[in-house]
Amino acid sequence: MDERERLQSADADQRAAAAEALSQMGPDAAYAAVELVAASGDQESVGEWSVAALEELGPPPEEAIAGLSNLIADTNPTVAYWAMTLLGRAGPTARSCENQLTNALHQSDQDSVRERAAWALGKIGATSENAVQALQTATTTSNPRLTRLAKRALQEIQS
Amino acid sequence: MAKKKKKSRFSSIKWMIITLLSSGGLGGFMKPDLPFIGPLTQRLMAFAKSDESLGQGNLMNQVKANMTGAGNGVAGLNGQQAAPAQLANSNRPSSSILIASFNIQVLGKSKMAKPAVVEVLARVIRQFDVVAIQEVRAKEDNILPQLVAAVNADGHRYNFIIGPRLGRTVSKEQYAFVYDTTRIEQDPSATGTLSDPTDLMHREPFVARFRARTNPPEQGFSFWLMNAHTDPDEVPEEVDALSQAFPLMLNARADEDDVILLGDLNASERQFGNLGKIPNITWTVTGNTMTNTRQNKAYDNILFDRIRTSEYTGRWGVYDIEGVFGITREDALMVSDHLPVWAEFSAWEAAPNNRMADRFPNDQPR
Repeated sequence: MDERERLQSADADQRAAAAEALSQMGPDAAYAAVELVAASGDQESVGEWSVAALEELGPPPEEAIAGLSNLIADTNPTVAYWAMTLLGRAGPTARSCENQLTNALHQSDQDSVRERAAWALGKIGATSENAVQALQTATTTSNPRLTRLAKRALQEIQS
Repeated sequence: MAKKKKKSRFSSIKWMIITLLSSGGLGGFMKPDLPFIGPLTQRLMAFAKSDESLGQGNLMNQVKANMTGAGNGVAGLNGQQAAPAQLANSNRPSSSILIASFNIQVLGKSKMAKPAVVEVLARVIRQFDVVAIQEVRAKEDNILPQLVAAVNADGHRYNFIIGPRLGRTVSKEQYAFVYDTTRIEQDPSATGTLSDPTDLMHREPFVARFRARTNPPEQGFSFWLMNAHTDPDEVPEEVDALSQAFPLMLNARADEDDVILLGDLNASERQFGNLGKIPNITWTVTGNTMTNTRQNKAYDNILFDRIRTSEYTGRWGVYDIEGVFGITREDALMVSDHLPVWAEFSAWEAAPNNRMADRFPNDQPR
């Protein structure tokens, strides 16, 4: 059983051990990107190591994009945050996720999720009118970080 | 060694403004006399630039010359320098102190449950007088007490201070400082987390003021440590925020001109941007020296003003955990994906006679 499979074990100790092992692999853990994002919302012993692995693994492989896209709407904001973070790292390769990211920017009640959605839309180079409108709306919020990230995303899109 | 202590009138005014406006802060932890990062800072710094540019000359040349000077470091991992363990041992000379930064990846319950890992961590910490730690990640509050107990198990007398949990998701981190109380004292009135009202940083720097124990005490080298860990996905923005915070810390107190910024910046020296352009700033980790266990990143560093902090001896290094303890790369990764970086400073303040009020709370009246 490889670490990706262990990360989905019913046994929390197995999941924690797998996440810890993946956190020591750096970018080589990217093959388990989707599973690590899902595990980021797990209990502390699993989640903290998953987050540590995610911080270090760089851009996800192309085959992980669809799985990550499905996690944008996860009810756990940590999972949504990390799904969008990896999609942003993927850059234009993840442009197919534009609508899901736009929805997250529009609809999430979590600042961390909306902020990461704005950031990711800039990184992927979103092109749709909906995405640009959502970002323009976000530039007028009272959240200074969201406003800043939305402005930067619009600059990235226009550049 | 004479030390210049130049304070413009503007700096005092600027600081008074910040002091008046910065009370409160994060989670009640912030001390009202610490600066904050944000638009006000940006405006003030833009104004201050015209003031600071007077008489500074070609700053970039100074920075570059300084970088070359820092290359005189004596310890590293690439075999070009002396073994760090020879410099950083438990019988340290009283004339100097060793300050280190160590990102102990996910320092929490799981790591503390591994006795071999804890033993390595304890032995590493004992090599230094103060260690700035990043990535304490635990819901419990017993992690640092346990770690310091392990450090002190052989009779050492280390203590620690720890910051609040910081982060934008449920995964929070704490900064900590662990220090040898027989050689270093901490100013209890000068500890806190920088306020960040416009949320520029994921984890705002944790700052604390320390002083080397000397006789007489007021001649000991005193300094701010500014512990930082940037978000790997927003490095340019966060390093830029640090470039705003650092000059503010330099002027945070009239009686303290030494500020040492250290931590995991997720940026090599080539990515320092405005931080690397601060007049007279220097840093220890340069060139091809790597600071992570896998030996392919130079993300950890120690930065300071080379004129103000003339106590720096020029000795620095990256602590080679694999080499010092004779363990495998795999075992070293169990300890952390980062290595400690360290620098040596004189234990004596460079120009104590010029200090306006170099005092700690427990000093005897003069």
